Amino acid sequence: MRRHNGDGEETSREQVDQELLERCKSGDQEAWAQLVEATHRDVYTLCLRILGNSDDAAEATQDAYLKVYRGLSGFRGDAMFSTWLYRVATNAAISKQRGRSRRRAHEAAIEEDALAQVPSTVSVEDAAGARIEVGALERELAELPAMYREAVLLRDVYGLSIEEIAGQLKISETAAKVRVHRGRKRLRQKMWPVEPGAEGRDQT
Amino acid sequence: MRCEEVQEVLPSYARDRNASLRVRRHISSCAVCGAELARYDELLAGLRSMRDETVLAPPGLVAALTAIPSNGTRLQVARTHVTRHRKAYIGGLALAAAGAAGAALWRSRTAAAA
Repeated sequence: MRRHNGDGEETSREQVDQELLERCKSGDQEAWAQLVEATHRDVYTLCLRILGNSDDAAEATQDAYLKVYRGLSGFRGDAMFSTWLYRVATNAAISKQRGRSRRRAHEAAIEEDALAQVPSTVSVEDAAGARIEVGALERELAELPAMYREAVLLRDVYGLSIEEIAGQLKISETAAKVRVHRGRKRLRQKMWPVEPGAEGRDQT
Repeated sequence: MRCEEVQEVLPSYARDRNASLRVRRHISSCAVCGAELARYDELLAGLRSMRDETVLAPPGLVAALTAIPSNGTRLQVARTHVTRHRKAYIGGLALAAAGAAGAALWRSRTAAAA
């Protein structure tokens, strides 16, 4: 589900086509404003999920668009724009995460206001009819240690490859795989806590 | 093969469906491990759906981003605006989220009834 803004206008990364990019490259400020309008929520949300703090996410979003603006002339369209944009945004957010002091990172790990933005009752229905509360999942993901949160976000929410994740986080591919694996395992434990004495019982 | 061994590989297997024949045979014949795999499938579907869940940007951010071609630098405006207007902004979003949740529930109930 994609949420709509107050004017009923849908934001979508698919609205960025080659023509709009060419106009941006030629210095057309109106085209740049359209590009920002079509993509900024995706980028801001990605940064918010990595950083868990709206002020830092807003700064990282600005850093990402500065890099996009400066790199636009070199973007030749052989990769999808949205893929490139996500890569730049991820890089900006991870850089900011690394730059935060340990104390501030701890304080900002779970920001109530940021978490309040997550819908609490929207659910995903799978083929068997079972449901998962996306709001609860979002909150549990936000509470994971940063190393696991980043890995699961990049792999399972944004679809980056293990190789790309390793590159972004400056770790080995093996380490990236391990973080994704452990992150999923922790999330599963949080979403379906094992009741005392229920181990080994068929819960279907 | 023990359930504990199989469940150790499920977080990765759920995504790539790549495991030894012994593991796959165990999953297909063990209700406990089958249910566990279903939970991971559900978890991954939930995570995938999060990509399309976006939140409203704080007031001032779009203006700052739009001004990048003229300014060429990051503006401080976002930080102060975010702090000052956060409550109203969250309140508006909560209403939007409640509407979306209501629609989703209505859809799922309609589907269940059908």
